[in-house]
Amino acid sequence: MKILVCIKQGLDDGKMSRFDEFALEEALALKDKLGKPGSLDVVVDVITAGPVHAVAVLKRAFGMGADRGIHIITRDIGYMPAFVTASNLAVVAGRQDYDLILTGIMSQDMMEGQTGPMLAEFLGMPCATAVVKSKMGTVPGIVRVEREMENGYKDCLDVHLPAVLTIQAGINIPRYPSLSKMLVAAKKSITTLVEEDLFSNPVSPKEFLVAIEYPDQTRAGQRLDGSLDDQVRQFQSFLQEKGLV
Amino acid sequence: MKPILIIAEVMDGSIRPVTWELIAAARVIKELMKNNVGGKKDSLKIQVIVPAQNPLPLAKKILSRTGVDVLALQIPEDTAYTSEAYKNWLSPLVRVCDPSHILVAHTSQGRDFAPGLAVRLEAISLAGVNKICSDGDLLLYYRPVLNNTRNMVLGLESDLLVVLTLMPGIFFPRVSKVKSCGSITFKKICRWSGQPVRMVHQKILKQENNHQILKTAPIIVAAGRGIGERSNLEYVFRFAKCFLASAVAASRPLVDMGWIGYDHQVGITGASVAPRLYIACGISGSSQHLAGMKESDWVVSINKNFQAPICSNADLCIVADVLPFILAFLERE
Ligand SMILES: Cc1cc2nc3c(=O)[nH]c(=O)nc-3n(C[C@H](O)[C@H](O)[C@H](O)COP(=O)(O)OP(=O)(O)OC[C@H]3O[C@@H](n4cnc5c(N)ncnc54)[C@H](O)[C@@H]3O)c2cc1C
Ligand SMILES: Nc1ncnc2c1ncn2[C@@H]1O[C@H](COP(=O)(O)O)[C@@H](O)[C@H]1O
Repeated sequence: MKILVCIKQGLDDGKMSRFDEFALEEALALKDKLGKPGSLDVVVDVITAGPVHAVAVLKRAFGMGADRGIHIITRDIGYMPAFVTASNLAVVAGRQDYDLILTGIMSQDMMEGQTGPMLAEFLGMPCATAVVKSKMGTVPGIVRVEREMENGYKDCLDVHLPAVLTIQAGINIPRYPSLSKMLVAAKKSITTLVEEDLFSNPVSPKEFLVAIEYPDQTRAGQRLDGSLDDQVRQFQSFLQEKGLV
Repeated sequence: MKPILIIAEVMDGSIRPVTWELIAAARVIKELMKNNVGGKKDSLKIQVIVPAQNPLPLAKKILSRTGVDVLALQIPEDTAYTSEAYKNWLSPLVRVCDPSHILVAHTSQGRDFAPGLAVRLEAISLAGVNKICSDGDLLLYYRPVLNNTRNMVLGLESDLLVVLTLMPGIFFPRVSKVKSCGSITFKKICRWSGQPVRMVHQKILKQENNHQILKTAPIIVAAGRGIGERSNLEYVFRFAKCFLASAVAASRPLVDMGWIGYDHQVGITGASVAPRLYIACGISGSSQHLAGMKESDWVVSINKNFQAPICSNADLCIVADVLPFILAFLERE
């Protein structure tokens, strides 16, 4: 069985996006459960599209236990919507026969939650989002999932493989990279592709960035600085003024 | 003029209230586009598709409440929502209707099918839109980025179809007399025969919770990742004890890490609360968290970073390291 996990380097902190750790953990747990130790009957590939330094997240993924890495080096076009990313990932993922593709529920920087469902549509695969439980092996060729909805409701589905799942936080507790795996990681090979080579005519966004703004203020946001003592005193008078004590 | 199309959100056979917000947003877009069509705003239609096993009563409700055109879409018996089914059912209908915009709720259901539907329709897709305005002829769409600390303002290159998922709780339905009288069209989906079904809905589960404690507490002290370690929760509980009839809440990551039970989670996938006072300790104020507590009378934030979004959504922002602040408060009490 071949599993692909899509991981992204955060624009802001350079780390693997938080939700992607849950996706990778889910894949590795599946490998631990279904694969024979040391064999490659379950392979976990990780892929990232990003600038040269995005390779750091692939190395971290190796440290957690991923088998192989793919790096699509992207153009610097400033604004990179999910549509463009999913198009790139689809070209590469489409060349291999993955049984399962996992992404995070959303990235922390772009926050679109669209890359997974778009990738699925490009590849003609079914897609379930916000997965908080996945179970494989009960019925061959099917992954049984629970999708999280609002107010504590969950939707249970049987999804035929190959499929794309977007993984929600809380599904598992992601492992930390281990030193021994990090050492092996240094020797693992990364397939590097350049975005321009994927397409004769790379996909461009059809929307353009006009500005980046601070969100609207909904409350006064009175700022309290100063020494701890001052802050505590002012907090107490706030409570008294508003009749909260 | 091309119509604005809305996909009503139906769950368990009834219309979810977010649908009224979608209609309100469509009216905002209509108003903004009026200038572009030389004031002929009545030529711009709003149409709602309501997919359900028994859609007619729902369609009637939408029509009588808002006056817009409704397509009552009867889906096959014993089928339920899946992203695959929605994409298959909706894409041919959308092609016939040829809209300028498709509005979908940014909810667990909308986020699930809208991006794939957009790809199938070769449309642009913007997720989590929280504001729409215009600059001359250009419509501008706002959506959150960078952990909710900023909004990205986007314009569209061409007059391609755009699918928008709209953040709930932003666009307020106007309560006004229904003037325009739309009509109801009925359509029945025959069981999908084109392709094999690859997603089969099994059942809906409800997670047991005891959110009642949070919902009735007049004062809530809420902990976020900023408290650092699990053991620090003890101080948050002691802090809460300083207030009569208080309860302790948490942001989702603390629940995910198993530090505290789901009963304590506030937010879009937890409890919605509206206490007299909500004290957010080391919580950044993501839109998913804010959705569950923004109705509070007073909000106080204790956060070392004044740039955190919670600070634009709090009445009082104590810029401090949360633990030392709580300890100093406990000492003075
Ligand atoms: C579909 C979906 C549903 C979700 N539902 C929910 C939900 O119901 N509820 C919910 O809460 N989240 C929900 N989330 C998660 C949400 O997106 C955020 O990830 C989460 O709310 C962040 O929690 P936080 O504020 O505790 O952590 P962070 O965002 O990490 O914020 C920590 C804050 O603490 C501050 N801080 C750090 N150290 C200190 C210190 N020493 N002293 C003072 N301040 C400090 C930081 O400045 C920061 O602002 C959902 C996400 C998705 C995708
Ligand atoms: N540049 C990228 N490279 C690899 N995976 C990505 C990339 N961008 C997004 N993803 C995946 O898609 C998920 C959702 O991202 P987004 O659609 O940006 O919210 C992330 O959690 C990743 O799993």
